[in-house]
Amino acid sequence: MLSSISDVRDLLATQQYIASDEIATAMFLADKLGKPLLAEGPAGVGKTELAKSWAGATGRELIRLQCYEGLDETKALYEWEYAKQLLYTQLLREKLSDLLGDARTLREAADRLAGEEDVFFSERFLLPRPLLRALTSERPVVLLIDEIDRADAEFEAFLLEVLSDFQVSVPELGTIKARHMPTVLLTSNNTRELSEALKRRCLYIHIDYPDLESELRVVQLKVPGLAPRLARQAVELVQRLREMDLKKHPSVSETLDWARALVELNSHQLDKATLDTTLNVLLKYESDIRRARRALQGGPDRPERPDRPDRPRGGYRGGEWTN
Amino acid sequence: MDRRITEFIAALRAAGVRISLAESADAMRAVEQAGITNRDHFRLALQTSLIKDAKDFGTYQELFPLYFGREAPPPLQPAGGGQLSDEQREQLLRQLQQMLAQLSPQHLASLFRSMLTGEPVSGQELRAMLGQAGPPMMSNQRYREWMTRQALRELQFNRLEQALRDLLERLRQEGMAEETLRAIEQAARENQQALAEQIGQEVAREMADMARGEGRVRPRQRSEAELLDRPFERLDECDLADMRKIVNRLAARLRTRLALRQRRGKMGTLDAKNTIRTNQRFGGVPMIVRHRKRHLKPKLVVFCDRSVSTQHVMTFMLLMIYSLHDQLSRTRSFAFIDRLYDMTMYFAESRPEEAIERVMREIRPTRSYSTDLGNALGQFVRDHLSAVDHRTTVIVLGDARNNENDPNLEAFEQISRRARRVVWFATEERWKWGVYDPGSLSSDIYRYAPMCDALHEVTNLRQLADAIDRLFVR
Repeated sequence: MLSSISDVRDLLATQQYIASDEIATAMFLADKLGKPLLAEGPAGVGKTELAKSWAGATGRELIRLQCYEGLDETKALYEWEYAKQLLYTQLLREKLSDLLGDARTLREAADRLAGEEDVFFSERFLLPRPLLRALTSERPVVLLIDEIDRADAEFEAFLLEVLSDFQVSVPELGTIKARHMPTVLLTSNNTRELSEALKRRCLYIHIDYPDLESELRVVQLKVPGLAPRLARQAVELVQRLREMDLKKHPSVSETLDWARALVELNSHQLDKATLDTTLNVLLKYESDIRRARRALQGGPDRPERPDRPDRPRGGYRGGEWTN
Repeated sequence: MDRRITEFIAALRAAGVRISLAESADAMRAVEQAGITNRDHFRLALQTSLIKDAKDFGTYQELFPLYFGREAPPPLQPAGGGQLSDEQREQLLRQLQQMLAQLSPQHLASLFRSMLTGEPVSGQELRAMLGQAGPPMMSNQRYREWMTRQALRELQFNRLEQALRDLLERLRQEGMAEETLRAIEQAARENQQALAEQIGQEVAREMADMARGEGRVRPRQRSEAELLDRPFERLDECDLADMRKIVNRLAARLRTRLALRQRRGKMGTLDAKNTIRTNQRFGGVPMIVRHRKRHLKPKLVVFCDRSVSTQHVMTFMLLMIYSLHDQLSRTRSFAFIDRLYDMTMYFAESRPEEAIERVMREIRPTRSYSTDLGNALGQFVRDHLSAVDHRTTVIVLGDARNNENDPNLEAFEQISRRARRVVWFATEERWKWGVYDPGSLSSDIYRYAPMCDALHEVTNLRQLADAIDRLFVR
């Protein structure tokens, strides 16, 4: 069992995940206090990776629930397997007639049928979705609720029961309690303010882009083929790009992709040709690429707004508006 | 330790971080698990369980050292950075003794000694000094810098500068080498800096203590009803964030009401002509009833007086109107000071909040504060009159204080004639309308009034919401 925070770091290190003090402390407490951990921060800084690594390090199964708009409990929790129920009814028709054959009145038949109804609404016909799987699993698991900020507020409210008591209520069956407390990790890209209630139930950690040295360590660990000097240059460049005013900043995963690309291309230095061919690995918008190129090649960054700041741009772009 | 943590949590609450009872219980458990021997782990354990919002990290980082900081003052340097020979130190101390005898308030002397010899001033001594200077009046950590400067001034901290120069001068006259003097000066200045920092910490701690003393509730927080009725010009920055939230909620409420109204509007009144025509095939028996559909979606043109006094009204009104955007087929907005600025572009490019911020930043009174609505109206008629047609509602937001400029009533009339209606949102209380004001002289509001369909007094959020709501009542 975990005994200290540095244990967490060592465990994660076995999965090639370099955890900062913050991450290690948060993970340690989530495990010790048995509370969900909410990780917020820009995309691609390794929030999801943390859950994966944790599952790998502790040898637990990772159950992942990817959130999206319109996600509801039937997709997240359980569903009745109607087709199977129907099939069974067909198969059991004979049995039914045996059962009901000697019933004299309609009422008696209905009563007997009602007695059997429970069979059809038992766990046998329950199709468990990620949340239920995590709760009913025979062994402790890591439950990753990815990008919770994409789900609707209703779904967030529905999650509250799961997060605070690790149980869910299925109307036909009653309350199902977790057999083993799962380690729950929620991630959010901060596109929407999460509710107070949700935050209160979670420990919280904000993971930001790593600083130069940490990112360099990640690159060296994950892409060992890259020459140290080149790796440093590359990371420095990525860090510089993050300071620019771009539509989308390169994430750590993109840095890694780029580092791999540089290895594949056998690059020895970051010259213009290399940049020209590989910048699109880092940046995903044409305008970003153009702007980055201009900035990296020394020319002054052309101001976006050429007019004087004290005067608003005149004219209405759409021309006359008629409807 | 538990007590200290509780105090710390109370201080966080006082600084506006929302922490529930469950969370403070978590924090205690977290500390139990993480231990208190490693300061970093301790800090992170508390942070993970208490802070649930990235914007509160700053407050946390500010307050943590005040409650769990080491008692030890910042490290001070020995005289001359430790490079002095015994003889030189002797010389320095002799001069220092003489100076200290002359430095009048007791505390200045001890600060000066500490600055030159590097002997630390204990927290207790410092508290005593600050006690004489008077406790800070404010508890909000935002004013920490300011309060620190205040305390330094009270302590006459800047006199240390003069004292140092005097001392160096004396030493120079005694023939001490320039190089040594420079070393002494540098060490002394660094120590001075450290002392100032220590004082700042002490002040911040006092302020935090004070905030705690004022109870759990954030003293600045006002209730929603109070904010709704609070005149715009009496709002301060602390209220603005809360106001934004209220505006968003009001806008959402207006939006649902409007949508409802529009759905109902579809039913409309009976269209007799159409009904008869449709039912010809049934021999005139009205089997199918036709209604006249209303699909006259309102268009809007907004004129805003962009002067300092109307700034908040304008912000909130634009926010509200642009949150209603899907209900309004077109909204164009203009700001005026002495001439007209088209703001529509900003809203086309970015989200309302950002757009308004940009407007505020980029359209600002430059040459003078003289509002000239007349000129702006003239410009509008010349360049943008086509924006106004029989579906357009024109809103003018302002106080109509024209600085004796020509009100240009003809232009206003022209707009008024074309528009579906013209509504004036007056940013002054009703009793001030038309009253002579020495600042901007006349008020022309009653000269424009006959050409308006309605005049609303808009001096707080409730009135603004009502006025906007009334716009859409058919």
